[in-house]
Amino acid sequence: MSRLVVSNLSINRAELPVVTSVDLVAESGAISVVLGANGAGKTTLLEGLSGVIPVAGGTIAIDGRELQKARPGARSREGLAHVEQGRTVFRQLTTEENLRVSLHPSADIAEAYALFPELVQRRAVKASLLSGGEQQMLVIARALLTRPKVLLIDEMSAGLAPVIVTRLMTAVRKLADDGLAVVLVEQFAALALSIGNRAYVMRRGRVVYDGDCAKLRQSPDELHRLYLGEAESAVPA
Amino acid sequence: MNPLLTSAVAGLTAGGTYALLGVCAVFTYRLVAVVNFTGAAIGTAGTFVLIALFEVGFPIWPSVLAGIAAGTATGVAIGYIMTRWFGEASASTKAAVTVALLVGLIAVGLRLTGGQHPHNMPELFPGSAFRLAGVEVTIASVLTIGLAVLFTILSDLFLNRTKVGLNLRALADRPMAAELLGVRVQLLSLLVWGMTGAFTTFALMIIAPQRSPNFMTLSLLVVPALAAALIGVFRSFWRTLAGGIALGIVEGLASSIDSVSQYRSAIPFLVVLAVLLWSQREARWDEAR
Repeated sequence: MSRLVVSNLSINRAELPVVTSVDLVAESGAISVVLGANGAGKTTLLEGLSGVIPVAGGTIAIDGRELQKARPGARSREGLAHVEQGRTVFRQLTTEENLRVSLHPSADIAEAYALFPELVQRRAVKASLLSGGEQQMLVIARALLTRPKVLLIDEMSAGLAPVIVTRLMTAVRKLADDGLAVVLVEQFAALALSIGNRAYVMRRGRVVYDGDCAKLRQSPDELHRLYLGEAESAVPA
Repeated sequence: MNPLLTSAVAGLTAGGTYALLGVCAVFTYRLVAVVNFTGAAIGTAGTFVLIALFEVGFPIWPSVLAGIAAGTATGVAIGYIMTRWFGEASASTKAAVTVALLVGLIAVGLRLTGGQHPHNMPELFPGSAFRLAGVEVTIASVLTIGLAVLFTILSDLFLNRTKVGLNLRALADRPMAAELLGVRVQLLSLLVWGMTGAFTTFALMIIAPQRSPNFMTLSLLVVPALAAALIGVFRSFWRTLAGGIALGIVEGLASSIDSVSQYRSAIPFLVVLAVLLWSQREARWDEAR
C-alpha cells in the first residue's frame, strides 16, 4: 500500500503564485481526480509534484519519504510517474523503443501490451506516426513500466475521440484496481468523476472542494458553482 | 607523379580531422541538442596539456594520456555548464553560449600558452603508411580517417544497439520526458561531452604538428568541422564523415593551385554558405508546395 501526501503545497510561475496551500492525498487502489477550469493551476500542480518546476513551499511525500527537493529523475526512481499533457512520446523512436526507455529491471514489456493490446501491431512503428489515441496509450504504458507507486496523468483526453477517451479511462481504472495510486487531472469532469474515488476541485490555485467523487457527480449544480466561484467554503470540515 | 593527386592526398590528414570533429559535432547536436562551437577548443586544451608536459621533459605517451584526460575533463566541465544552467534553453541560446565559451577559452588559452609563441609539438605518428598511385600516404592521414570512421561506426552501434544509446536518443528527443522516466539525464549528457572531448583531443594531437600550433588556430578548426556537420545536415554521421574528408581534399587541391591557394582557408565558409543556400532553396520549395 502506497500513499502520496501533499501538504500545504505552493508553486509559483514567474514569481506569481499559481498554486497556493494545496493539500492532496492519493492512495493505492484509488483515483484522485483533480478538476477545475482552465488556468485553475491543475497542470502546475502536477508539474510541481513531479519536479518539472520547483515548488515554493510545502511537502510532497510518498510513504513518508519527502521528495519536494529531489530532481524529477530521483522522484521517478522513488515511484512517482508523470504522464504529461500533450502526449510526449519520443517521436523518433518506435513504440517498442519508447517502452524500453522506461523499462524497470523488474518490469516486462508484455505488461504494456497486456494493458493496451492495440500497441502490439504498432510495436515497430515510429511513435510520431501513431494516432493520437495510440500515442496516449503509449505514454501511459511507458509510465507503467517504470514500476510507479503513484501515477500522475494530465489531460489524457484532450483532442481524442470519445470512444478512445472511454477506453483510456477504463485502462486507468484497471491500473488503480491493480494497486496504483492515481492522480488524474481532467477537463471532462463527468467522465473522470465516474471512475474516480476522491475529487478535488481547484480554482485560482486553491482547492475549493475535497470530497467524494460519487457525491460530486450527483450534484452537477454544485460542481458548476465550484468551477465558477460561488462556493468558496465548500471544503467539508 | 601527378601534383594534383599529391595535393589531394596531402589534404587527407586535415580531412580526417575535419571529419572526426564534424562527427563529434553531430553526436553532440543529436544527443544533447547543442551546436557546439567549443568542440575544437576543448581538444586544443587537451593538446596543450600534452605540449606543456612534453616541453618540460615528460615522456610522450603518458603526456598524451594526460592530455586526453584534460580534454575529457574540459568537455565535461563545459557540458556541466550547458546542462546545469542552459538545459532548457532554446537551440539558438545554447549555440550562442558555446560561442561565448569559445571566446573565453581562446582568451584564457592564449594567455596561458604564451599567445603566438611557437611550441614544440611532438609528431605522434611520423612517417609514411603506404604509397597510393606514387604518393606517400602518411600514418597521420590513415589514423585520423580511421579514427573518424571508427567513431562513426561506434556512434551508430552505440546509439542503435545499447540501452544507454537508446536512453540518449530519448534524451535528445524530449529531455524532460526522459528525465520523468528516471533516465539519468545529467550523467548521460556529461558522458556525451566527455566522449567527444576525448576523441577531439586525440584528433587534434595528430593534426597539430601540421598546423601552426597556437591556441586560436587549433580552436578555430571548429569552422571546417561545422561545415562538415552541415553537409550531414547535423543528422547523418556518414555524410558528415564524407563531407569532412572531401573538405580536406579540396583544401589540399586548392593549395596546389597558385591563384586560389591564398584563399583556401575560406573554403569551409564557402561550403557553409553553399549548404545554407541549398537548404533555403529546399525550404522555399516546401513552402511553395
